[in-house]
Amino acid sequence: MADPRSDVLQGTLEMLILRLLSAETSHGWGLSFRLRQVSGDVFDVNQGSLYPALQRLLRRDLIRAEWRPSENNRRARYYHLTPAGRRALDSAVADWRRSAGAVERVLRFA
Amino acid sequence: MAWSSIRSALEALIGRRRADRELAEEIRHHLDLETEYRIDQGEAPKDARQTAIRAFGNTTRVAEEVRDERGGSRIESVLKDLAFAIRSLRRDAGLTTIVVLALGVGIGAATALFAVVRSALLTPLPYENPAGIVTVWSAWKDVDRTWLSYDEYEAWQAEIPAFASIALFASGAVNLTGGDQPERVRSAQVGADLFRVLGVTPIRGRGFTEDEDRPGGPAVAVISHELWSRRFGADPAIVGGTIEVNGASASLLGVLPPGFKLPLDFGADGATDVYLPLATDAAQQGAVPGPAMNPGGGSHNFYAVARLAPGATAAQADAQLRERVAGFVRDNIYTAAFGFRAFTIPVDDLVSGEVRQPLLVLLGAVGIVLLIACANVAGLLLVRGERRRRELAVRTALGAGQARLVRLLFIETGVLAAAGAVAGIVIAWLTVAAIRQLGMTSLPRVAEARIDPLLLGVALLIATLTAILTGILPSLQVRQLDPADELRESGHRASAGKGRLRWRQTLVTAEIALAVVLVTGAGLLVRTVRNLLALDPGFDPRGVLTMRLSTPSTWYGDSAAVAGFWNTLTAEVGRIPGVRSVGAVRLLPLATDMGDWGMAVEGYTPPPNQGTPGDWQIVTPGGLEAMGYRLLEGRLLDSGDDLNGPLAMVVNRTFVDRYLGGRSALGTRVLIGSSLGLAAPPYHIVGVVEDVHHNTLKSTIKPGFYVTVAQFARAPGSTIRSLSLAIRTDGDPKALIAPVRNVVRQVDPRLPISEIRTMEEIVGASIAAPHFAMRLLSSFGIIALGLAAIGIFGIVSHAVAVRRQEFGIRAALGAPPIELLRAGLWPGLRQTAAGIAIGTALALGLTGLLSRVLEGVSPTDPLTFVAVILLTGLVAFIASFLPAVRAARVPPGSVLRGD
Repeated sequence: MADPRSDVLQGTLEMLILRLLSAETSHGWGLSFRLRQVSGDVFDVNQGSLYPALQRLLRRDLIRAEWRPSENNRRARYYHLTPAGRRALDSAVADWRRSAGAVERVLRFA
Repeated sequence: MAWSSIRSALEALIGRRRADRELAEEIRHHLDLETEYRIDQGEAPKDARQTAIRAFGNTTRVAEEVRDERGGSRIESVLKDLAFAIRSLRRDAGLTTIVVLALGVGIGAATALFAVVRSALLTPLPYENPAGIVTVWSAWKDVDRTWLSYDEYEAWQAEIPAFASIALFASGAVNLTGGDQPERVRSAQVGADLFRVLGVTPIRGRGFTEDEDRPGGPAVAVISHELWSRRFGADPAIVGGTIEVNGASASLLGVLPPGFKLPLDFGADGATDVYLPLATDAAQQGAVPGPAMNPGGGSHNFYAVARLAPGATAAQADAQLRERVAGFVRDNIYTAAFGFRAFTIPVDDLVSGEVRQPLLVLLGAVGIVLLIACANVAGLLLVRGERRRRELAVRTALGAGQARLVRLLFIETGVLAAAGAVAGIVIAWLTVAAIRQLGMTSLPRVAEARIDPLLLGVALLIATLTAILTGILPSLQVRQLDPADELRESGHRASAGKGRLRWRQTLVTAEIALAVVLVTGAGLLVRTVRNLLALDPGFDPRGVLTMRLSTPSTWYGDSAAVAGFWNTLTAEVGRIPGVRSVGAVRLLPLATDMGDWGMAVEGYTPPPNQGTPGDWQIVTPGGLEAMGYRLLEGRLLDSGDDLNGPLAMVVNRTFVDRYLGGRSALGTRVLIGSSLGLAAPPYHIVGVVEDVHHNTLKSTIKPGFYVTVAQFARAPGSTIRSLSLAIRTDGDPKALIAPVRNVVRQVDPRLPISEIRTMEEIVGASIAAPHFAMRLLSSFGIIALGLAAIGIFGIVSHAVAVRRQEFGIRAALGAPPIELLRAGLWPGLRQTAAGIAIGTALALGLTGLLSRVLEGVSPTDPLTFVAVILLTGLVAFIASFLPAVRAARVPPGSVLRGD
């Protein structure tokens, strides 16, 4: 339990991926970079663990992937949100807010 | 599973390589970008790559996880398990072979028997709606089942509302001439409406019209598809042309569909090939109904089939027939003393009635064999499971779920069952071939059994059930598995596994019990067949060759010509080396039923309104000797009993008992065919022979007489045109076929020969049903015992192996080998005793099912039961003894050294 980069955060990884993809289409490294950047390196988990999560989302049809040339003209696999993914993101964010709010209230008033 | 995951699984499976390639590319791309980023951040290029890889984590593991998430991993891992299962089964080659063979035998026997049952019981008869067709019969005192008279046909047609229609036919044989090879074939004379009643339409041409079916009508014929193909090369042009029947030409009107047979043609004698009009004449034959069974009236000579009226049942028809017959008796049309009856037999019962019960019993038996095979395989897999407990425990500890292990076990049993199915199909195919070969062709439709795609499906279904049944126990074993416990227990256990042995012991007890049931059934049938074979038929069937010959009136105009032909033929055949005696008889015993002829016997007055019937056997001189009839008194018929000699008659023992009341028969005068006082010359009894069981081995004996062909043509004046030649030899009767054929060809090349059989074959065919049941049930019993023996061998080996250490210690402490042997034997014998007790109880309850097939032995025959118990005990003892010896031989040192 010494590691602050804990499982709870792992579980929210999918939500975060959806959130990042809702802003812009990205390839895997791009996602991992943005995650580190935006979260202040809290999400510096093994970068590889991103890929099984992406595969889970693909399977649930929440995101799609396509190969296309990247900015430096190499073939890269880009992920983008599907309409179902957008809905899933909304409800996941709402859930998160609700439970985070509840946790926050407990911490504050208990 | 949602559609998307199925799709993804399929895509993953199909495009696995591509997806893997792409994933590798994606990861490489990621690492490249990360490396570039780190160089931008100021890391040394040579370190940047390494840090990037570290930050990414284990690439192989990531790829693995992605693959798992892709779906399709399930199918993939099943394939992996499958490969693993096959590998590990191959390592255990001995066990695998036994299991596959056991399953193969079970599946094969079940499939083969299903093929027979399907052919004999489930395939509809070649008629339209066969369930609505019945055959109609008459019966009276002493005669259980016989033909109809024309009068009865008319009466039943008009007065039995349960019959929608009824048609007559009679059977016979004709010579097909006009080709290179004359041929004698079965024929039937049929009423014009017969094909309509049966609901069959010729596939070529047409059937008979009412106008063709009358006395003096045109010479017309319809033939079977089989004859059309065989003799006429399926030539469509022949239909509408002419064929030659008995030396005269007849118009060929039509060809019947393939596979069509008359209701009585499903036995060994083969099917009718030529159909001719019955040509009955209502004006001539239709007198008032009855008393047609007046001895000598000879008018009961038609088979009849009826189509039930819509909604009517055979039982209703029977009730109406009973009612009508009672009316005839009340009106004095039928004589009460005759005990006349009329009844129907549904055509399905007529064809398969004899084999139905044995087959159903056998089907149950084969189910038992299959159960034993399953129990055995489950038992063997349990042993394997015991040996693999540590392996499975390690797998569990490494994170394999129970479900995964159970799946692995079911995949293993699935592989075994699939191999068993392949073995089973081969065994089924061989079994069906053997059934067709082994003279079981005399059972209706059994010989038509074959293995086809449907049956392969049945075999696979059985195999699947087997896999499920056998997989259950080993998987329960997995559920009880506690890895920690298992791994803590070291390889050495003083007396472990006892609780686990319990399941196997239960299985073995069940196997033995079921084997006892089967072997008991087989034992009863063996005794039945022995009893049947031991019944004295009254003649000696050994070394007798028979064949049928007919002398048509076209070429043999009068009885002198016929008698002359037989004299020449028998004299010539008698000259063949090895022939001891030769002659001919009208009807072969146990091959063709014999009816009776009215007589008047000197000194005998029949009770009022009853005749003096006698079974009439017409022979040539030498015929009785060749058939091995046994002379009791006087002499047999000889060449002096010819057209000109004094009329001589031989009678059977029952004739003497019934009509002569113990007086000496010799010299008694008998008239054939009429009452005393008619001008016909009387016969004198010259000899008495032992009773012969003619119709069946078990039929009651009736009075019978024997006269020569030549003299029968004088009184009552009837020329017999078809006879069976009988040739007795000390050697192999079949060796005489060719030389006798040659002699017949020399005497008259126009005459076809048919029905070449030995008397032993005929006797065999007459008990074919119990024989067939006995053979199959005995095979099943032997298989069951063998499987049970393997099972006992298995548990005893196991028990001994598990207690090896204990035995070693006991041996070291000075226990004598005999005591260890006893200890080793004990577990096997205890299961055997329990199995025998349960099996005997089951058998006592079940053998009653065989009662209709059994002969001369009760379903609870003590001798059979005791023999079975001893046999099973012996087999079990031997199976236990071999592994138990090992227990007694454990070298004490080995255990202490810790091997």
